[in-house]
Amino acid sequence: MESPATTVERDGRSTVVRLRGDLVIRGASELYATLRAAARRRDTARLVLDFAEAGRIDSSGVAVVGLIRRQLAHGGKQLTLAGLGEQHRAALALAPEGSSASEPVQVPGPLVAMMARFGEHVIELGKSLAAFGALAADVARQAAAVVLRRGRMPAGALRYHIEAMGVDAIFIVGLLSFLTGMTMAFQGAVQLQRFGAGVFVADMVGVSMVRELVPLMTAVIVTGRTGAAIAAELGTMRVRSEIDALATMGIRPVRFLIVPRLLAITMIGPALTLIGIFIGILGGMVVAAATLDMPPVTFWSRVAERVTLFDFVHGVGKSVVFAWIIGLSGSHLGMRASGDAGSVGTATTRTVVTSVFLIIVVDAVFATLSTFGRSG
Amino acid sequence: MTADDVVLSCRDLAVGYDRPVLAHIDLEVRRGEICALLGGSGSGKSTLLRTIIGLQPPLAGEVFVLGESMYGLAGDERGRLLRRTGTAFQQDALFGSMTIADNVALPLRELTRLPEPVIGEMVRMRLARVGLAGLEHRRPAQLSGGQRKRAALARASILDPELMFCDEPSAGLDPVVAAGIDATLLEFRAALGITLVVVTHELASIRAIADRAVMFADGELRASGTIDELSRSRDPDVYGFFHRVADQGATPNGRRALAT
Repeated sequence: MESPATTVERDGRSTVVRLRGDLVIRGASELYATLRAAARRRDTARLVLDFAEAGRIDSSGVAVVGLIRRQLAHGGKQLTLAGLGEQHRAALALAPEGSSASEPVQVPGPLVAMMARFGEHVIELGKSLAAFGALAADVARQAAAVVLRRGRMPAGALRYHIEAMGVDAIFIVGLLSFLTGMTMAFQGAVQLQRFGAGVFVADMVGVSMVRELVPLMTAVIVTGRTGAAIAAELGTMRVRSEIDALATMGIRPVRFLIVPRLLAITMIGPALTLIGIFIGILGGMVVAAATLDMPPVTFWSRVAERVTLFDFVHGVGKSVVFAWIIGLSGSHLGMRASGDAGSVGTATTRTVVTSVFLIIVVDAVFATLSTFGRSG
Repeated sequence: MTADDVVLSCRDLAVGYDRPVLAHIDLEVRRGEICALLGGSGSGKSTLLRTIIGLQPPLAGEVFVLGESMYGLAGDERGRLLRRTGTAFQQDALFGSMTIADNVALPLRELTRLPEPVIGEMVRMRLARVGLAGLEHRRPAQLSGGQRKRAALARASILDPELMFCDEPSAGLDPVVAAGIDATLLEFRAALGITLVVVTHELASIRAIADRAVMFADGELRASGTIDELSRSRDPDVYGFFHRVADQGATPNGRRALAT
């Protein structure tokens, strides 16, 4: 293909391209195609670019000349620039001198690139786990220092975080627990009534709310609200060098930023779970009264009879572990954010995914251990 | 001087947010010159720049860029005008999720139909020219402040704009890196004919690159002229700026000079 402004002539083993008009972005694609075709001709040993009638050349024109020069050199051919004007020389001087600067970066093949990426992920995971372990140990040390009054948290920090993480979450946890309790009771009532065992709805709602549903659901809500917020807050502080500023002031970032959050979440996790359990059972009670004509006193007495202290310890104990998972994941990933706004988003997303994954794994472990514990 | 020679014109311009920080600004920048917008911190020069490049509507007056009214155009028309300009922001404004090469290639990929080999070559050439050869695949977070500034210059200039705006291009950099950036700006002007409007308060850079400077103080355009003319000015604010005299209202015969 030949651009309208240029002509291509043969002169022995040379191909002469007479350039006309401005060599700018608008016509750069055509120019590149013309020169590449000329450079690829087998009978061309030398390509002459005649700039005598050419107009202005911009960076795209310079880039095309640079590319063609390299393609010709690769094939052992020569490029000659003729008729250069002052502007042409000035613009062509923008091309870096020497080969090292203008050589394209060697891009590895897809298999090598994939293996390299996998290796990088493995190394990064190892580093992340090591950093997580170090952070958990540091948090334990700093929390112990605070509890033993050898160190202080920022004044009012604990109260602030309890309010932000806990008080503001009561409504959503309560509402979802109530609806879950109602749903459980509806489902149970329909099935159990067929066998004349509707009264066992109270047992089912009580045990499932206390042992499984409320602790798990509360943990997921806290992950979305609090875990993501912790990661975003700490990540933003990291990006804005606020954490470095604390360190250079001699203030321990873990004690100043993470311990208050972890102590707060350790308190609000079980507290929200207890509130959720009560409201969830209340939801079940309402449905039992409406569909089975079961008096509230009967419902609650069956729940109290069926749900043991062990069930409560199981459910509330789990919620403490879930809270630590959420708090430590958010803190760890937030503190590892670096450089740009995107890393804060990544830290937030990873916190939610990691926390939910670990919560479900730990829940399965609790379920397995308690089952074996009871049967043993 | 013909109308075509004027690439930037501000007419009775007032800029600010709720109330004007600069008012009654009349300013012209001619094709091919490097014009420095000077002023102390908070003098409104960066707000003026935001208004000139279409980010902050003026409170009064008009801005003409390359002969067209910036705020008389909207949507695609303003986009087409802005493509003929380039802006390097004070905080580099590189996209952290992209490599340096992808940052610089972004305007080419989005606004032109150039083949990828040509885009790659343009990016390599421009990065090599600003001293970032071999760093194409790094992300902004992996570069120093000076390197990020140079990458931002590369991106702002990649479309060979007729008019380029630089907000504090060498602020906070060591003298060697700052001198390198100054040299790059001069090279862009010489090789590509780019007109430059540079917001700065770096005296060394002003003396190195600017043909002409405009000084803002106390909400108004206080002085305009060549660097030599401004250096000899008896205006207290202009004198204080060029001779590094502390305190507002310092006079050539009055306050103690901190340095010369």
